[in-house]
Amino acid sequence: MIRNGVKQFLRGVVTNSKPDRWNSIISEISSCGGNGEKFTVKDNILTIGTTTCGSKILSEFESPFDATVVKLLQDKGYNLVGKTNLDEFGMGSSNTNSNFGPSVNPLFEDGEYVTGGSSGGSAATVAGGLCEFSLGTDTGGSIRLPASNCGVYGFKPSYGRLSRWGVIPYAQTLDTVGIIARTCEKVQEVFEVLDKYDSKDPTSLSVETRKEISTVVSKRNSLRNGMFNIGIPEEFLVEELSDATRNKLSKAAEALLDMGHNVVAISIPSIEKSLSAYYTIATAEAASNLSRYDGIRFGKGDENLDGAANVVKGNRSLGFGKEVQRRIILGNYTISSDSGDHYIKATELRRHLADEFNNILYIPNLLTNSEFESKDVGKCDFILASTTINTPTTIEEFLHKEHQNLLESYTNDILTTPMSLTGVPTISLPILDEGKAISTQGIQLFGQFGDDRALLQISSHLMNHLL
Amino acid sequence: MLTKRLLSTTSAGLFQFDPLYRFKCGLEIHTQLKTRYKLFSLSPTSFNSEPNSKISYFDIAIPGTQPKLNPEALLLALKLSTALGCQIQPKSRFDRKHYFYPDQPLGYQITQFYHPLAKHGEFKLTQRYDNLEKDKTINIQQIQIEQDTGKIIYDKHDGLIKIDLNRANVPLIELITDPDFENLAQIKSFLKKYQLLVKHLDICTGDLETGAIRVDVNVSVNGGNRVEIKNLGSTGEIQDAVIYEYTRQISELQQSRVIQQETRGWNGKETVRSRSKEDAVDYRYFPDSELPIINLDSQIGQDIAKTLPEFPDQLMANLVESPYKLELKHARFLVEIPELLKYYQDLFSILTAHKVPAKQINNWFIHEVLGAFNKLDISVDPQILPSSTLAELILKVKNDAITLTVARTVLSTLIAIPGSSIDQIIKENGLAKPQVDSTDMDQAVTELCQDIVDRNPDVVEKIRNGKKNSVNYLLGLAMKETKGKVGSKLFLQKFQALIK
Repeated sequence: MIRNGVKQFLRGVVTNSKPDRWNSIISEISSCGGNGEKFTVKDNILTIGTTTCGSKILSEFESPFDATVVKLLQDKGYNLVGKTNLDEFGMGSSNTNSNFGPSVNPLFEDGEYVTGGSSGGSAATVAGGLCEFSLGTDTGGSIRLPASNCGVYGFKPSYGRLSRWGVIPYAQTLDTVGIIARTCEKVQEVFEVLDKYDSKDPTSLSVETRKEISTVVSKRNSLRNGMFNIGIPEEFLVEELSDATRNKLSKAAEALLDMGHNVVAISIPSIEKSLSAYYTIATAEAASNLSRYDGIRFGKGDENLDGAANVVKGNRSLGFGKEVQRRIILGNYTISSDSGDHYIKATELRRHLADEFNNILYIPNLLTNSEFESKDVGKCDFILASTTINTPTTIEEFLHKEHQNLLESYTNDILTTPMSLTGVPTISLPILDEGKAISTQGIQLFGQFGDDRALLQISSHLMNHLL
Repeated sequence: MLTKRLLSTTSAGLFQFDPLYRFKCGLEIHTQLKTRYKLFSLSPTSFNSEPNSKISYFDIAIPGTQPKLNPEALLLALKLSTALGCQIQPKSRFDRKHYFYPDQPLGYQITQFYHPLAKHGEFKLTQRYDNLEKDKTINIQQIQIEQDTGKIIYDKHDGLIKIDLNRANVPLIELITDPDFENLAQIKSFLKKYQLLVKHLDICTGDLETGAIRVDVNVSVNGGNRVEIKNLGSTGEIQDAVIYEYTRQISELQQSRVIQQETRGWNGKETVRSRSKEDAVDYRYFPDSELPIINLDSQIGQDIAKTLPEFPDQLMANLVESPYKLELKHARFLVEIPELLKYYQDLFSILTAHKVPAKQINNWFIHEVLGAFNKLDISVDPQILPSSTLAELILKVKNDAITLTVARTVLSTLIAIPGSSIDQIIKENGLAKPQVDSTDMDQAVTELCQDIVDRNPDVVEKIRNGKKNSVNYLLGLAMKETKGKVGSKLFLQKFQALIK
C-alpha cells in the first residue's frame, strides 16, 4: 500500500482517541494547520490514513489519498477535525450497525436516542457543536434522516454535482455526498466550494450540463419572479404519519403560502413502488461493490485459513456485520441468474418514477429531455414532504423493534428513497414545533435535477420567515 | 487404443476426422491490446516489470476509486472490428462479471456482456494465401472489450502464493467465433492469420507464447453438448487438445454416454474436467453503471476503415504482381514481418529509380541480404544496414565498380560492423577493381593463369580427360589470389584457352 507519510505528517495525525460524549467521532484528527472553521467527515469518505467505513473489514486499511471533496475544503482553509461514526458501509437508518457502536443523539438529555443513519455521527457532531458542518453521504436518506433526528440541516445535492472520487461506494448510482450544518447559509457556503466538475469521477456532471442547467434555471427564475408552485404529493402522506408530523407539514405549507407561493396537492403514483425498487438496486450494487473485500488486500488476513475459497469466506464472515451480510445476500440473489431480471425491472421502475417527477416539475430534467416548455406555468417548482414518519426513539426501543421485525427499519425509507432514485436535490429542514426550542423531526423540500441553488435559496427564505 | 495411438503422434497433419462423427469447433480469443495505459486507469501497460510496480489505486481496487475508459483501447478494438467487417454497435456498454479469485482485485471483471462493441463479422480463409484445400469463411459472433486479471505465481520454494497485479486492468478484446471450424487446418490457418492481422493492425504483439493472445476452444461432436477447453498456450497445444477432446467424445458416444456440457483444462496430455454445468460459477452479470454508455456515430466504421493499412492478403497479392514479382512464399514471409516488408519496399523504390530489374532486387534482398544476416546470426535490422547504404552497394555491382564476390565481403562487414562505410571497407581491404588498361590486365591474367596451370598438372590432366568441372578448382585459386577483384569470367576464358 502506498503511504504518503510526509503529507500525513504535515496535514494532521490520526488518533483513535476516546469517544466523545455521543460516540460521534471514531477517529480524531489533530490538525497542525488551518485555522479555518472545523468540519468533520463521515468515515466512508477517504482521508489519508485510517478510513474504516464503520466496518471491521477496513480496520487495517490506510487510505493513500484524500477524497476530492475533502481536498477542496482543505484547500479553502477549512479544518478537518474528525471522521464520524456511521452504519457500516452506509447500510442502516439508525447508526446502530457500526463496528464502533451506535452514535447518540445530542438533543436528548433523558436517555440515549438514535441519531438516525447512516450519517449519524456527522449529524451528531454538528448538533453537538463539535464542528460547524459535516460531510455525509446519502444513498436512500442517510443525510436527511439523521439531520432530521438531530435538528440540523441535511442537504443531498443532485447526483453528480459533488465528486464521488474517494467515496467508498455502497450503491454507486445512488450514493451522493452531502452537507449537514446548523444553518442553511452554511450549507450554501460549503455547497459553493464543492459544486465542481471532477474529471476523476466518471459520473460527475460535465461543465456543459452544469451551464445548461443554470441557463434554464435563470430563465425559470425570471419567469416566476420569486413566486413558486410547491406541490405536496399525496403518496407521501402515509397512514403511519403522526399527527405532529402532519401539523409540522401544514406549518411549512402555510408559511410558504404566507410568503406568496402557491401550494398544491399533487400525485406521483410511482412513489409507492419506490421502496422495493430502491432495495433491489441498492443491494444489488452493494453486493457487487463489496466483492473487493475478499480478505486478500482487506481484512485481518487470518493465517489459519487455508485455500483461496476459505480465505474469502472466512474474512467476509468475520469482517462484515449482520446487516451488511444480509444486504450482500439479498443483492447477490437479485443479480443471480436464477432470480430473473429484478435489477433491470427495478431500473425501469426508477425511470418511470423519474418520468412522473419530470411531468410534475416545471423545468426539464436535462439528463433526459432538454426542452423547457415555459408555457406550462401550472407545474411545480418544488415539492414538500416530511423527512420521517416519527420523532426518534431510544436506541434500546429501536433495537427491540428491529429485533421483532427486520423490515421495521426499512419503512421510513418510503419518504426518502424516491429522491435518491431520481437523483434530485433534497434538503431536510429543522422546522420547530410551536413553543419548542429544538426540532427532532425535519421537513423535506426538493426540486428538479440540478435545481440545487434555487432549492437552497427558497429553503433559506422559508426558515427565515419561520423565525 | 485409438486414443493412445493418436496421442503418440504429435503431428496433427496425420490426423483424420471420422466422417461418422461430425466435428464442430468454435474459438474464443483474448487479445491483449497494445495501449500505452491500462483500460480504466493511467498506469502504464508494461510487462516484465518488478511485480506490483505498475499499479494505480483503481487497479488494486482501493474503494472510492472509479474507472475511466481509455479511448486508445476503444480505438484499437474498433480497428479490429472494422477489419473483420463487424457491425459496430451504436450503443455499447460495460457489465460486471462477478467471481472471487486472488488475481481479480475488484471481485468482478469489467467486461461487455449484454451490449458488446461489435457483432457479426467475417474472417475469410483462402486456399491461395492460407494453405487450405478450399476457401472458408469463419463467422465472428461478437467482439467485446474487457479487463485482464493479475497473475498468480505459485512459489514452490517458500510455499507461498504470490499475486502480481501489473497485468490487472490491462485492456483485452474477446473475440467469439461461431462454431464454424471443420478441421484442424482451418483452426491453424485462422490462428496464424489472426496473429498476423493483429500484428499488422498494430493492436497487439500477436504472441501466443507470452500470453498476449490466449485461446479457449469449444468442441462438440454430432451436434452434442459443447465442451470448452480453457487456457491453451500454443497452436500445437490447441491442436493436440482438440484431437484429444474429439477422440474422447467419440469414445464416450461409442459407450452410449452423453457428453456433458463442461469446462476442461489441458495438462499437456489430456483434457481434464475443471467445472461441469451444475457447479458452474454464476457470474451475476449486471450493468456497470459508473461507466457511461459508448455512443458511436454510424459513420465510425467507414471513418476507421480509411485509416487502416492494407490487409495481409492484399499485400501478398500486390507483392506477387508487377512491379515486385516476388514468389508467393517470399511475399508471405515479408508480410509476416512488417518491419522487413518496409525494409524491402524502401530498397525496392531506391533501386527501381536506378533501373535495377525487380528480379535482381528480389534476389539481392531475399538471398544476399537476408542470407548475410542469417550467416552472422544477427536478426535483420534496417538500423544496422540502412536501405540507402544497401542500395549504394548493389549499384556499385551494377555499375561494375566491384564484383559480386567483393560485394558479398563488403555486405558481411557492413552487418558485422554497423556504421562502416562501403568505400572505406573496399579501400582498407584492397578490394577495388584494378585500375589498369585491358592489355596490361590481359597480360597479368594470362601470367597468373599460366602459373596456376603449371603448378597443378594433375588438375589440368583431369580437365583434358573430360572432367570439365575441375576447372572450378583452378578458378578458385585465381580468385583467391586476386581477392575477387577480377571477374571470374575473365579467368574462365583464359583457363579454357590455356588448357586445350
